[in-house]
Amino acid sequence: MKKSIAIVEDERAIRDNYAAAFAREGYAVRGYPNRREAMAAFASRLPDLAVIDISLEDEPEGGFELCRDLRGLSAELPIIFLTARDSELDAVSGLRLGADDFLTKDLSLAHLIARVNALFRRVDALRRPPEEKQVIRRGALTLDSERMSVEWNGQVVLLSLTEFWIVYALTKHPGHVKNRQQLMDAANVVLDDNTITSHIKRIRRKFQVVDEKFDAVHTVYGMGYRWVE
Amino acid sequence: MSRISELIRIGPISGFRLRTKLLLLALTTLALPWAGCQYAREMETVLRESEQQSLLAVTTTIAGSLKGRQELLFREDSLPAVSSQNARDITPVVLSGAPLIDGRPDEWDTDSRSLIRVPGPGGDGLRLLAATHERWLYLALLVRDDKMVFDASMLRPLESDSIGDRIWLAFDDKRGGQQQLFLSSTGLGNLVARRIETREYGREEATEEPRIESVWQRSRDGYVVEIGIPLTMLGQHIGVLVDDRDRRGAARASYGTLEVADLRATGRLIAASPDLSDHLRQFAQPGVELTVASSTGAILTRLDAPALPGDYTRMRGFLPRMYRLFLDGNALPRGVSQAERQRAAEELTARVAHGKPATALFAGRYENSVIVAAAAPIFSADGKQVFGVIQLAQTADRWLTLRDRALTRLLNLTLFVTLFAVVAAFWFAGRMTLRISRLGAASETALGREGNLSRVLPESEAKDELGDLSRSFSSLLGRLDEYTGYLRTLAGKLAHEIRTPLTIIRSSLENLESENLSSNGMGDNAKVYIARAREGSERLGAILTAMGAATRVEEAIAHSERQRFDLTALVRAAVGAYGGAFPQRRFRCEVPDEAVEITGAPDLIVQLLDKLIDNAVDFSADGDTISVVLSADAASAALSVANPGPPLPPEAATRLFESLWQSRAESDKRPHFGLGLYIVRLIAEFHGGVAEAANLPDNSGAIFTVRLRRFGHLQSPKIQSM
Repeated sequence: MKKSIAIVEDERAIRDNYAAAFAREGYAVRGYPNRREAMAAFASRLPDLAVIDISLEDEPEGGFELCRDLRGLSAELPIIFLTARDSELDAVSGLRLGADDFLTKDLSLAHLIARVNALFRRVDALRRPPEEKQVIRRGALTLDSERMSVEWNGQVVLLSLTEFWIVYALTKHPGHVKNRQQLMDAANVVLDDNTITSHIKRIRRKFQVVDEKFDAVHTVYGMGYRWVE
Repeated sequence: MSRISELIRIGPISGFRLRTKLLLLALTTLALPWAGCQYAREMETVLRESEQQSLLAVTTTIAGSLKGRQELLFREDSLPAVSSQNARDITPVVLSGAPLIDGRPDEWDTDSRSLIRVPGPGGDGLRLLAATHERWLYLALLVRDDKMVFDASMLRPLESDSIGDRIWLAFDDKRGGQQQLFLSSTGLGNLVARRIETREYGREEATEEPRIESVWQRSRDGYVVEIGIPLTMLGQHIGVLVDDRDRRGAARASYGTLEVADLRATGRLIAASPDLSDHLRQFAQPGVELTVASSTGAILTRLDAPALPGDYTRMRGFLPRMYRLFLDGNALPRGVSQAERQRAAEELTARVAHGKPATALFAGRYENSVIVAAAAPIFSADGKQVFGVIQLAQTADRWLTLRDRALTRLLNLTLFVTLFAVVAAFWFAGRMTLRISRLGAASETALGREGNLSRVLPESEAKDELGDLSRSFSSLLGRLDEYTGYLRTLAGKLAHEIRTPLTIIRSSLENLESENLSSNGMGDNAKVYIARAREGSERLGAILTAMGAATRVEEAIAHSERQRFDLTALVRAAVGAYGGAFPQRRFRCEVPDEAVEITGAPDLIVQLLDKLIDNAVDFSADGDTISVVLSADAASAALSVANPGPPLPPEAATRLFESLWQSRAESDKRPHFGLGLYIVRLIAEFHGGVAEAANLPDNSGAIFTVRLRRFGHLQSPKIQSM
């Protein structure tokens, strides 16, 4: 059975373009122009993944509300914010509401599809027992690239997909400096330097939630970041 | 030339500060004292003229009262024949005080005209002086005589062997009779005047005349006889005769103004009647001197000026003297001698003798003192002949004093007013200048480098024009603020708005590509076009990212957390990385040996450095060396980036760090919105610092310096939300 994706986007041309791209990939796509129609549809049947724009028609923050409502309906449903906004604040708010990823519309369709695939992969993988060969261990860190999950000292660290790919890129070659461009490539996102910086910041904070002494991500000023064991 | 026309256009005092201008303006009040002086002069002229007129009126009145009363002037009804002047005529001078009859007439105030010389046997024999005072006629006989002979006895005055030197005095009496008296003495001192009366049987007897006083006194070359005769005794003619003898009883040598044969007096006495003084006294006024002269100019009587009531002395002291100097200048004559004044009075009399009253001004006895005189002719009863002149003289001290007093008061007042005006103008100007410069400074800082304008200006509460100015400034600044705010947010808004259609284009292109790839139905040309369209859309995306950069930095700053970090290590690492990023430039890094710890956001500092290096790279050429220098003291750290290249345009120094300002050439390929240095400024301000730009000392390039506060409480800069 085809996986179903719901696109909530008020701009019809974008919605249709995305729908076409996803359909080409073999997904069943349904598009909704606003929150009301989307919720009405979700009430009867939940999609397997939702891509939500933040501002919806007359509601500038409609996407956030929709995300909150959707999270109320299902705790596991993957949600991706896709927005023309690129502000740090929006990203933080979106992720705090339980979105799995926050992408700007600068992202190419190919990247978007890759992210969606990855997200589905993670959802699927989480339902299967872990496979050892996909697991990277670096001291206290355990990183499962199949399930896209990260553990620190045995405790799960909940990272968004972008954050996961950044940690993945850093830990693949510990001690090597990864510049921002490399990190962006790894995460399959087009972000400016500033957003990378805030992602790194958020990664540190998430690790510090489980271990206050976490200090494995080093900043190399003017160059990038590296993972130190 | 241009300077002159400029001066004409802007006026001669426009080069001064406002304060100086107002001060100069206030100094124009000095015209007040000048005007006061003019007024005082005018007043003085009017006073003097009215004084002269009133004096003339009085003079004419007195002259009228004397019309036809020649008996008062000349003690007889008939007029003296002016033309037939006689060498024996006695014209006594009018003395201002009664002389002491002591044989020494040196206190007499006489002049040569009242002197009569009569030759004696040995040349100069007798000199006769005459004077009057009030009701007395005084005669002084200065006789040259090598041998004085006194009478032998007072008891035998008529016995020839006892007769010595004698003085004969003969005059008409009022009834027309002849009076002949001789004066003799047995020694120096008082003489006795006696009259020879013929009694019965032809016996002659000498009778004493006690009303005549006389004194005999020796002089250097003879003797002096001083005689006082009451004017009431005298008629029109009078004369004296000296009988000089070498010894008692010897033959006499007679000489004098009498006829020697019959002792008849033929010389006239030109003197006023004592009643004239009484008549004139009724017209006496304080401070006014009355003089009556004959038409020939001989003074007949003079009524001295009674003292003026009150104090009319001129004001003393520095200021009044200065004022007088200012006012009089050299206009008034200095003090002159008595003789000069007398000459002036005589000139006036001579003028009036022709029949018309006149006035004149004389210089007084003292410095700056002035005498006003008026003279009027006295006519005979038929009004055809002028037989006398009356002259009234008055010192002008009274009105000079009045003028001085008024003037001093006026000048004091105006001086005070001027002083007050100057002080007030100075104060006002100072206050105005202060207010204007405060307003100016406020508007300047409001328009300064800060992108955010403060709309509250000083003086906005004031109700005057400055308040209006301040309010219009405020509203202008308000509009400017809205405008710059709009401009600042425009880039972000545009970026946001363009992003959606760009996404449509981009996703459509990608779909197109995917569709054609899968169907394999696209020609090579179409692929090229699609590639170009994608390239274009990507460039558009980069532009949008650049446009939103400032907004993102502002947001980043708003959410930044401060931490302590080593600036030295950061700069060293970053400059190392730039070497790789910009291989066409060389980088020189100069940092202190020790760590420079500061409190702040390292990521932002890196961004700041990125922008400065970007800027330096853009304005330098391949192979140039860009210097990055870090220095620090206890309170602050200075980070500077210098690059060779074109110097900054002059207006750049203040505007360089403003949002949306740039001075680079348009040929650049990368999108620029003049936000780089604005971001530098935002980050510097976040660190409690400032960003500055300057040219290198030899103008070979530019240097950008950022000063950061190292520690302490840092204030969050005001971030304007987009």
